[in-house]
Amino acid sequence: MASPLPPLLPSLALSPSLLPLLFPSNPLSPQHRRRHRLPPVSASLQWNRKPQLAGETPRVVVVTSGKGGVGKTTTTANIGLSLARFGFSVVAIDADVGLRNLDLLLGLENRVNYTAVEVLNGDCRLDQALVRDRRCPSLELLCISKPRSKLPLGFGAKALTWVVDALRSRPSGPPHFVLIDCPAGIDAGFITAIAPANEAVLVTTPDITALRDADRVTGLLECDGIRDIKMIVNRVRTDLIRGEDMMSVLDVQEMLGLALLGVIPEDSEVIKSTNRGYPLVLNKPPTLAGLAFEQAAWRLVEQDTMTAVMVEEEPKKKGFFSFFGG
Amino acid sequence: MAISADLKVFVAAFASHPNYRPLKPTLPSSKIRFGHFFNGTSDLKIAQRWPQLESSATSTANPSQVCLGTGGNNLSATVNQDAEGFLLNVVNMSFFDRLGLAWRMLFPTAKVRNNSNARIAKQRLKMILFSDRCAISDEAKQKIVSNIIGALSEFVEIDSQDKVQLNVSADTDIGTVCSVTVPVRRVRPEYQDSEEDYAGKISGIDYKDTGETSGTVDVTFDFFLPNKK
Repeated sequence: MASPLPPLLPSLALSPSLLPLLFPSNPLSPQHRRRHRLPPVSASLQWNRKPQLAGETPRVVVVTSGKGGVGKTTTTANIGLSLARFGFSVVAIDADVGLRNLDLLLGLENRVNYTAVEVLNGDCRLDQALVRDRRCPSLELLCISKPRSKLPLGFGAKALTWVVDALRSRPSGPPHFVLIDCPAGIDAGFITAIAPANEAVLVTTPDITALRDADRVTGLLECDGIRDIKMIVNRVRTDLIRGEDMMSVLDVQEMLGLALLGVIPEDSEVIKSTNRGYPLVLNKPPTLAGLAFEQAAWRLVEQDTMTAVMVEEEPKKKGFFSFFGG
Repeated sequence: MAISADLKVFVAAFASHPNYRPLKPTLPSSKIRFGHFFNGTSDLKIAQRWPQLESSATSTANPSQVCLGTGGNNLSATVNQDAEGFLLNVVNMSFFDRLGLAWRMLFPTAKVRNNSNARIAKQRLKMILFSDRCAISDEAKQKIVSNIIGALSEFVEIDSQDKVQLNVSADTDIGTVCSVTVPVRRVRPEYQDSEEDYAGKISGIDYKDTGETSGTVDVTFDFFLPNKK
């Protein structure tokens, strides 16, 4: 646990970026992780804090939403990277068979040579199909099919379950997290993606169309047996909430009745980072959305939830000049 | 008095202007009182200030037009579209009227807050979610109806089985309401409340004054007397 930096250095905002410097090769068994944590007596400022993994490994999480365009792929990419920076090994699977976007968001589109369809056909090994990110070696990407090929009609729920089982029993050890990026809609692609999953993260925005679809998806997930559903509310604009033009996160939670994993504010950095292929959470200094994604990833690891707070409203002026008609 | 007269003049001028559009959120309709127009002094003020009014009689002759414009409190789409027309009207108003208008815009009344977009969206979402969540299949409906008929026919005699109706509706307070309407002919004799139990029975006791402060007691009650046949 020797570190060159004095213990007065702050805390959470710096530690993710310092981690690769301080602990380049980190064996990630639970015992090692416990030994690396500072004893609570010595310092009031705890740096190098890592979340404690709850639940059995590997944790298979499907990121779904129902409605398209609410930010599923962005959430998968950013939370996957945050988890990898915490030190967990993550495999992100883009379960959209026809139109894949996760490789674009991670900036790895040039390096995808083999996909899961070729693994199933026997043309290559599984570890050849996994693309490892150079910026963050704990994250690996798996795409289902090549975009130019004919739509593989044979890729169904059983195939994806086979892939996840193969990941679980691979010789280099199972990953800590398997994140499955679900396609939009509730048809065959959705059913395929949720088949191997044990938990779900539902991404939604505070508008009425997304909430209706999210409610429908919740019903379908519970039918399928996935009880552990947590919600991330994306693209939140607090200025509109204060002006009572957008539903607040409290309203959303009340309507859907799901536990809240995170609230991500609307940030133009999302578009910029997508265009560059450099995910949002790697930005230094971190943006608001990046911090929110990292906190959501923390809560995902510890299986924790948050409670929404009410945005302060304008105090209503009582009619002192009430003869004006106020 | 002068202030309230100005308000009504403002409304009337609005009504007679050719580009009149209803500005519902800013003008509370409860303040309009047309009786005041017949006050002699305010008539003079009206004639002085608003020469485009031919006479006060014409403006009072169509009170319905003005009421229509200022009644209701829904934000209409025309408000947004006619912002330019509104500005043209505002320029013609006196300073005092503009001050009042500005005050109402900056500090909207409770009616406006209740119709904010967020609340409308929340209401709509509630109705949609309730109607989406409870889509009962037809066979389930049949089974519900037959189960209820079987349960009730032990205690009452049902008029006819075809007249039983099942309705599913969404209520904003309670949520989804599933109601079964069963027409009943009469209660079965073994479960009927017999008259002997009711003879001399006092029910519905209501103390209007328990006598603690006033020293008298005021009670209403129902007292059943069976018909002597």
